[in-house]
Formats: sequence, structure tokens, C-alpha cells
Amino acid sequence: MNYFPDEVIEHVFDFVVSHRDRNSISLVCKSWHKIERLSRKEVFIGNCYAINPERLIGRFPCLKSLTLKGKPHFADFNLVPHEWGGFVLPWIEALARSRVGLEELRLKRMVVTDESLELLSRSFANFKSLVLVSCEGFTTDGLASIAANCRQLRELDLQENEIDDHRGQWLNCFPDSCTTLISLNFACLKGETNVAALERLVARSPNLKSLKLNRAVPLDALARLMSCAPQLVDLGVGSYENEPDPESFAKLMTAIEKCMSLRSLSGFLEVAPLCLPAFYPICQNLISLNLSYAAEIQGNHLIKLIQLCKRLQRLWILDSIGDKGLAVVAATCKELQELRVFPSDVHGEEDNNAAVTEVGLVAISAGCPKLHSILYFCKQMTNAALIAVAKNCPNFIRFRLCILEPHKPDHITSQSLDEGFGAIVQACKGLRRLSVSGLLTDQVFLYIGMYAEQLEMLSIAFAGDTDKGMLYVLNGCKKMRKLEIRDSPFGNAALLADVGRYETMRSLWMSSCEVTLGGCKRLAQNSPRLNVEIINENENNRMEQNEEDEREKVDKLYLYRTVVGTRKDAPPYVRIL
Amino acid sequence: MEKEGLGLEITELRLGLPGRDVAEKMIKKRAFTEMNMTSSGSNSDQCESGVVSSGGDAEKVNDSPAAKTQVVGWPPVCSYRKKNSCKEASTTKVGLGYVKVSMDGVPYLRKMDLGSSQGYDDLAFSLDKLFGFRGIGVALKDGDNCEYVTIYEDKDGDWMLAGDVPWGMFLESCKRLRIMKRSDATGFGLQPRGVDE
Repeated sequence: MNYFPDEVIEHVFDFVVSHRDRNSISLVCKSWHKIERLSRKEVFIGNCYAINPERLIGRFPCLKSLTLKGKPHFADFNLVPHEWGGFVLPWIEALARSRVGLEELRLKRMVVTDESLELLSRSFANFKSLVLVSCEGFTTDGLASIAANCRQLRELDLQENEIDDHRGQWLNCFPDSCTTLISLNFACLKGETNVAALERLVARSPNLKSLKLNRAVPLDALARLMSCAPQLVDLGVGSYENEPDPESFAKLMTAIEKCMSLRSLSGFLEVAPLCLPAFYPICQNLISLNLSYAAEIQGNHLIKLIQLCKRLQRLWILDSIGDKGLAVVAATCKELQELRVFPSDVHGEEDNNAAVTEVGLVAISAGCPKLHSILYFCKQMTNAALIAVAKNCPNFIRFRLCILEPHKPDHITSQSLDEGFGAIVQACKGLRRLSVSGLLTDQVFLYIGMYAEQLEMLSIAFAGDTDKGMLYVLNGCKKMRKLEIRDSPFGNAALLADVGRYETMRSLWMSSCEVTLGGCKRLAQNSPRLNVEIINENENNRMEQNEEDEREKVDKLYLYRTVVGTRKDAPPYVRIL
Repeated sequence: MEKEGLGLEITELRLGLPGRDVAEKMIKKRAFTEMNMTSSGSNSDQCESGVVSSGGDAEKVNDSPAAKTQVVGWPPVCSYRKKNSCKEASTTKVGLGYVKVSMDGVPYLRKMDLGSSQGYDDLAFSLDKLFGFRGIGVALKDGDNCEYVTIYEDKDGDWMLAGDVPWGMFLESCKRLRIMKRSDATGFGLQPRGVDE
């Protein structure tokens, strides 16, 4: 079969980068499997319980970069209790024991302790990059270990983590000899920052391209930091609630004007509107802008800024921009590819008339031909608007629409939104991710099953009428990998119709649906390669096994394929069938 | 009128004991559905199951404030983002997020914005600052070594020891705070922390 020596094949494989492609080539024959696995540098594990560290290392002994994801997506919305799982320590311990030459670790929704970080920092001499997204369980002491011990550190990227800030001196722990930093993001740290230490660190990091500060870094410090890092490409600023004095403002402007490489701007947790004009000079270069935490800024200030951002490809914004603001985006940002509009009124208390509606969405779809990803929170929607959007933008890859009120119908016709979403899935042949909302019947799922051939991830909430809905999806969407459902009337009939299907998917989540304990047990019985987890936080409800009523509805079901059987680290309220 | 009353309860979706409350939920859900069905049924051929919203009624019910705040994990905004936009909400609106804080031995009460704290540690720090007394933070973390205990009144009117529940849950249920002398609390049978470990 092989006409070339292994080294040649390996060299060819070097050009095959995507995980899926590499997984495919490893299936061709034994020889290719072996060459592939020994040359694999980057491994992606979408569910940390699908495999264990020993088997990972056994198969890919030469790995340098590991990506691990822990809790299911709905954990972001507090639907998964603390202590559910996703602990990284066993992985780091195993990698350390086997002396894997780890250089990069990327974790999402995992529990990371200071102990893990300490071990990580001491075990891998060439460790270069740590990216933690939506993780929890550690403190700034853990960061101090990383800073102090990772001599080759290039990247420390902390995104949206829950970090206990001990207000210590972790920034001081970077040794003076550390000059290799390329990316530093500590925006999610809540405590004070040792600004002097930070300035010294930035000054000795000539390769620093990405710097994201936390809210505690004041304006004058920002100006100084930018002055000594004019090569920055990606900047996250802190919080500036007071209007700057003219001198600080002038210094900031001078510093910003020099940052001609700046392409991405974020932060602004609180920002006095008068601070924004300092950034006007670099707006024309920006390709990414995240103002989604800047709750205090009125729509018109946002609009002034955005009007200058003609090259924008990615925009994250709050709905306070309004339909008017979105019309400006549509007119200005012709290169826009990704848009996220978050609700500014998260608790639904205000009657916010300035928020966005279907009008803004249609305007964006009409004005931005390159748009392929959207996340849109709004209070109302119509089928007509969705149909128009589908016609304007057949290139959507990700389409996530969240109408804030569950079960809300088309606000003009009072009908369900089945036809609107149907139009989206029919027109967008490349759609890979979809979130639906509003009043929806089984019909929308019929459409999804029929048309959404490339769909890999689907999020359903408060939708559908009968088991048929879920069945349409399971039968139709052959490429489905992650299905998450909450508060929808799907039950055992749908769950059990095709049990083998779940081994072709990464996971299924169902909460507040109609599935019962009996149904889950039947599912688990014939599926050794699935872990079926029932999560029941209600302590009082833990009855004796023989008192159980199989007709009892299961509050939260999370099932996923695995090759390593039941996990041993589940808390008492998680029952694995 | 009747429908509105029913609506408030119906939309009170909560995570209850499976088998018990879910049955209630089902009844409520069906009732909600029935409520939405128009008597005229002119639109019913549009939808398979005949569930149709009569725009007017549905709007009325769903606008009730109780409806919007009861559902766990909805809207699907990640908790990090919710916490970080919470602060803005509580500073622009008077009263929201602010709770009264009383301390034994201090003749006046204070008011503090819970939403501006990010966790129990932060709260401890803020309480210390508020009363100019270093011990409160210690009380929150390390109960048995301190002269004071921090308790709070929850939505049900019960007085609870601060620190037991996850921060988010605490934020949602805390109505007021009290820093109480430990000696006054002896009747409560408070276990020193670490006994169960």
C-alpha cells in the first residue's frame, strides 16, 4: 500500500491540520494509523469524559497541544450544578507522569485548581500557552505559579473564568528574564492589579501582540501601556467610569494614534462616553470590536464609533444600539461576518423601547453580504422578517436567535415562528449551528430535519408539541453532534426511538422535558458506550432504589458517548445509569 | 381577569421535585396552551397541533413581571456576562441590588449594593469597608474564630447563615444582611466550620 517511506508520508500528513481530516486519514489503514498517531501534535477532545488520559497518551505520545472541554454548554446558564465534574487535575497528572512534552493546554468549562496549575507549571519545561475559557476553581495563586515557573510562556489567556482574586502579586511573579509573552489576557480578574508590575512586564515583552486588561487598570496606566506597546494588535481596555481630565485624555490619544497595528478592541466594562473619541483614530483599522459589556453607553455614542469602523468583520454589541444603530452598522460595515447582539436588560425589568427588533435584523442581513454568524437577542420577531433574512443571507453557518420571552409568537400575525425558521434552514444550506426560540410547534422540527443537512448543533427551548418534533430532528439531521433541549414536551418515545444514533453524536442534553427514569434506564441498558447521567440536585428526593417510581420525570438528562465507561468522579446527586 | 391570575402562576416555572411538581407543571403548561387557543380557530389550520396564540391575551399574560424573572437559566446569557452587566443595572436603578445591612452595636443601618460584589470574598471585603471593622470578612470565611456571624434574611423571611449557598443563589434570595454577635447566636447551635470535614 505505501510506496513511500514513512517519513515522506509523515511529511505529507503535516499539511493535514484539521482534527477531522487527521481522524479520517488515521482510518485508512494500520500503517497510516500508526504514522498519523505518532506524528499528531494537536489533539482536541470535545468531551473530557469520552476518553481518559491514559488512552490519550497511549495513542498520541508525541502530543504537544491538548484541548479539553468539560461541562455541557447549558452549564453556562447555571443549569449544571457545581461539582458536577470536568476536573483537569487527573489529565495534568497523567501527562506529567508520562513525560509528554506538553506545550499548549486549552480548557473550556473545566474545574481547574491551584494545585493543577502548580503541577502544570512544574511539569513541562517547554510549556508555552495556557488558554482557560469559562473555567473555575482556581485563584490568582495558581496564576502566580504559571507566571513564576513557565519559562517559555508565550500565552496566558483567561476568558470569562470565575477566579478567586486574592489581590496578590501574581504579575510580579513573572521573572525579569521573561520576555517571551505574546498574549496576556486577564480581563476577568476582579481585584486590583499591580500596575507597576504590569508596566514593567509589558515593557520587556517586545513580542506582545494581545493585551487584555481588567477593570482595575486606570486610564493613565492604559496610556502608558499603549505607549510602550505600539505593536499591539489586540487590546482589551479596563473600566473608565469617570470622564478623563484633559491631560490624561491627550496622553491617551497620543498613545492610541501610534498603535497602527491595532485590529481588535474590547473591554470597556464601564466607560464614560467621553473616553471613546480617543479611539476614533484607529477605528478605520479595526476588524473586531467588542462593546458588549459597555452597558452605560447610549446608542448614539456607539453609532459615532461604529461609523468609523468600515473594515469591521466581527462586532459584539448590546441591544441598546437599537434598530437605528443596526441600520448604521448595515450601512457602514460591509465586511461584517459575525454579529452578536446581547440583551442589556438581562433581568427583564425594563420596558426598553430602544432595544432591537426584527427590523434591525433584516437591515443587517440586507446590508452585510458576508455575514455568516449571528447571535441575536430581541423581544420580538416575525416570520416575514426571518424569511427576508433567509433570502438576503443564504450563507449563514451559525444562526442563533433568542426571543427573550418563551413561547412568544410572531408579534404581527400571532402565528408560530415555524415558517420563519423553516425559511432559514431551507436557504442556508451550510448551516452548522442553530438556536431557535419563540412560539414553535413540531412543524419547525420537520423543516429542520428536512433541510438542515449540515447541522451539527441545535439548541431548543420551550418549543414543540409532541415526540414527533424531536424525532424529525434525530431522523433528519445526520450530522448532528450536540443536541440540547430544555422545557420542551419530548419524552421516552423520542428518546428511545433510535438509541444507536447517540453514538454518532457527542452528547444529548434534556432538561425539564418529559423523559422518565424508566425511559432513561431502558436507554442505558443496551448502550455500554453511552454514559446516561441523571442530575438531580434535590437532596430530599434521593429515595431508596426500590422505592423509585420509573414513571418519575427526570429533571436533567445528559448523555454522551464514551469509550471508557462510567466516570468515577461524579458527585452524589449525579446518577449514572 | 381570571386568565391573568392563572397566567402568573403558570409562568412560574421552577425546578421542582420530579414526579411532583412536574405533574403540576404539565397541568399548568397545558392550561397555558389552552389559554392561547382562540375560540375562533381561524389560524388553527396553520399549526399542526392547533396551538395558536391569541395575540392580545398572550401579550397580557406574558408582560407580567413575575413571568420574566422566574425561569432558571433564561434568557440564555452566560452567568459570567450576567454578573458583569449586573453591576450597571444596580447602579443606575435606585434600590435594586441594595440591601440594608445592620451590625450589632452600631446604632444606624447601612445600605449596600450586593450586585457590586462578585462573590463572598468580595462581600466580606466590602462589609469590612462599610463598617470600618476588620472582623466581618473573617466571620464570613472562618466563622468559629470570630466574634461575629454574618446572617441574611431570605425571600421566605428566614434568617440564614451567609456562605452556605452558591453566590448566585445568595444574590437572588438575600433581602437584608445582619452582622450579629456570635454570643447572641449561641442558641442557634451553629457548628464551627470544619467539624464535618
